[in-house]
Amino acid sequence: MRREIGIGVALSVLCLGLWVSNSDFLGPSNAINTLRQISMLGIFAIGISFVIITGGIDLSIGSVIGLTGVLIAKMSSPNAPGLGYPLWVGILVGLAAALAIGLAQGLLITRLRLQPFIVTLGGMLLIRGLSQTIVEGGTISLGGSPLLGLANGGVLQLGTDALIPYPMLIFLGTIGIATYVLHFTVFGRYLYAIGGNREAAEYSGIAVQRVETISYVISAGLGGVAGVCYAAYIGQMSQQVGIAYEMYAIAAAVLGGCSLRGGEGTILGIVIGSAMMRVIDNGINMFQLPFVDPDGIPRIWRLNPNWTFIIIGAVILLAVILDQVVHMVQSKRRLRRAASAAAASASPPAAEAKAG
Amino acid sequence: MRSISKRFVGVLALEGVSLELRAGEVLALMGENGAGKSTLMKILSGVHAPDAGEIAVDGRPAAIDGVSAAHRLGIALIHQELLLAPNLDIASNLFLGNELPASTPARGRLLRPVPRARLFTQATRLLARVGLDLSASTPVSRLTAGQMQLCEIAKALGQNARILVMDEPTSSLTAGESEKLFAIIRQLKSEGIGIIYISHRMDEVLDLADRITVLRDGRHVGDLARAEASHDAIVRLMVGRQLSGQYFPERQPTRGEAVLEVRELRVEGAPEGVSFVAHRGEILGFAGLVGSGRTELMQAIFGATPALAGTLQLGGEAFRPLAPRAAIDRGVYLAPEDRKRHGLVLPMSIARNVSLPNIGSYARLGWLHRSEEQRVTALEMKRLNIKAKDQATRVLNLSGGNQQKVVLGKWLAMSPRVLILDEPTRGIDVGAKAEIYRHMAALAEQGVCILMVSSDMEEILGMSDRVIVMHERRIQGELERSELSQHRLAQLMTGQRPSEGAAA
Repeated sequence: MRREIGIGVALSVLCLGLWVSNSDFLGPSNAINTLRQISMLGIFAIGISFVIITGGIDLSIGSVIGLTGVLIAKMSSPNAPGLGYPLWVGILVGLAAALAIGLAQGLLITRLRLQPFIVTLGGMLLIRGLSQTIVEGGTISLGGSPLLGLANGGVLQLGTDALIPYPMLIFLGTIGIATYVLHFTVFGRYLYAIGGNREAAEYSGIAVQRVETISYVISAGLGGVAGVCYAAYIGQMSQQVGIAYEMYAIAAAVLGGCSLRGGEGTILGIVIGSAMMRVIDNGINMFQLPFVDPDGIPRIWRLNPNWTFIIIGAVILLAVILDQVVHMVQSKRRLRRAASAAAASASPPAAEAKAG
Repeated sequence: MRSISKRFVGVLALEGVSLELRAGEVLALMGENGAGKSTLMKILSGVHAPDAGEIAVDGRPAAIDGVSAAHRLGIALIHQELLLAPNLDIASNLFLGNELPASTPARGRLLRPVPRARLFTQATRLLARVGLDLSASTPVSRLTAGQMQLCEIAKALGQNARILVMDEPTSSLTAGESEKLFAIIRQLKSEGIGIIYISHRMDEVLDLADRITVLRDGRHVGDLARAEASHDAIVRLMVGRQLSGQYFPERQPTRGEAVLEVRELRVEGAPEGVSFVAHRGEILGFAGLVGSGRTELMQAIFGATPALAGTLQLGGEAFRPLAPRAAIDRGVYLAPEDRKRHGLVLPMSIARNVSLPNIGSYARLGWLHRSEEQRVTALEMKRLNIKAKDQATRVLNLSGGNQQKVVLGKWLAMSPRVLILDEPTRGIDVGAKAEIYRHMAALAEQGVCILMVSSDMEEILGMSDRVIVMHERRIQGELERSELSQHRLAQLMTGQRPSEGAAA
């Protein structure tokens, strides 16, 4: 829980700071947009965390997001080169492709004992290439498709904006199911056991290969769900959609307390981690400091958006460094306590010996 | 188990081995390393499938086609390397793979909730049964090796195991923990559980076993009842020749000038510093219970974990090993206790392991001279009689004895001044043991100073010229060869003062 609380406090402070500097941060338009962004990242960050908890990695999830969106556009866009099928056909094809990719990668990793990093790296490039051939290097517009309402609409209408956008509803549903599966079911327990000690899991009679394969199917499947949301949000599908998203998801999982060695991490942490990633992203645009320049003219200082990656990278490094330092200090303190206990327990016999 | 055979790529691991275990019996399974004990037990517990032969439980033929099938038959293997998930708590580990009652339908099992409260109560009961005074919600990462061992037993009991296989269960336990384990084994025996006990430690086997089955080279070579079992009888069966208990080489120890002087060296967790002097051509034994601080002391001298305080002198000059490199450059080498983790790079070849610590001398301008590496390796393989197909054989595929010889080989190739051997023959079969002892004697003869840490009483008695006994990270006493006796050693190891012992 230490990591969750730490990052949760950091997130609260960050939000408060941004709100003080620019009250528009919590204004309906920005807040709702940020919530939508958090939700879309959160959906596939939860997906990838299933794999990370078993000690694996899924680098292909960004490409899966792109392919799902591209397939939906190709199948159901009313505009050329879309094929103009009903929307549900497109969504079904997109999700089926995502699940099939997850299954194929999972089987390669577990049955052929290939390394997850390499299999999903190959998958990432291959799937990206597939998207590229489907859009033929151009874009397919979803203009006029009912899908666009998914990203922009929502429940609890507030003026022109919906307070809870549909992607957030999907995200909340994902959180609920994932929390149950990961933290309460036998399957979840097995994921942690495999990540903690694979051999122990095998010797306990757990069908390790099956459980692991399913984790890759879940990861790609939630990638597909996120892909539907991004397609609705972006509207113009090209091969660029979803590039490097796997890195955002991994970063969110690590910020939220997952260890890439496996066996650690909670849904709560991953949700907070995803929020952190998106709030930083948004905060770089929102942050402002009013000041008066030497000529006496009031001006506003803003962060340069080119710094986005520098800041995100620094935050991730800072988080893991802090975590490790706290860990090292704690274990050093434990060692010292054990040493003094050993010294204390060693002296009485000596005293006895003298007395005897 | 009847006529079990198993062939691995290139080797026949088991050939027609039969074995019988009765309820409420402790059967000791003995044999040199590579005799096929572990393979046989892996077949029984469903890890490997036999190529031929059959297994019957309670008189009924049983098909054991996986770990879960063995579990259902009440067979549980307690592995030598403890197999628990450190990130989960005790209760989760005890019921891992076994969370739901057997009556739960197979469909949708994975998505059922874990009954935490019920498992916690059951785990608490199991912990009480093995005498472990811990909460079932303690994370396994906080347990000692001994506590983990007891957890493994509790786990097996939780599966209603009636056949319990223990593979070297005491290898990581302290003496006190071992005693506790033996009491539990006797308790389980009285409850009608059959136990197969694999161990290299003769005294344990003679103490615990009702019967002893000996394997050699994948064949069953004999059964001994408790009455007819003796140290010599077992060793005779294991090696197939009379060793007459005398595999320690005859030596004429000569103590040269002081090589290594240790003054007030203090390691982490130690109440005070330790001081001693080791001489040229001497084999200095370090006896003590597991956890008495011997390994930590050796690691400090080798620079793997630098000491907190104290000074070292090597050949009269100051010696400050802050990293292993500093020790290696001065000719101080360590063959570590855990050779698989600290002594060898398992997936690399013999030749590459041998050249690793001295790689610079095999290279010119960064270009490695393979021929030189091969020449040196060939020399060491011949000198140490390392049995392997060739130099390119991966160390991973060697037996424990041959692995240890590779560790020795890599240091011998660099002419040691001080050679630290931490548990030099742990988990090594009798034949290879005798060879390693011969090499130690030869090295001492050449003037090498050998520090030997050992928990094997026979080894300490048989090899040391002088013994330093440690207790709770301090030096408890020092014995010359002439004063050595099992009794004196045991007294010091358990914390008696030298003066009391002498008086008694």
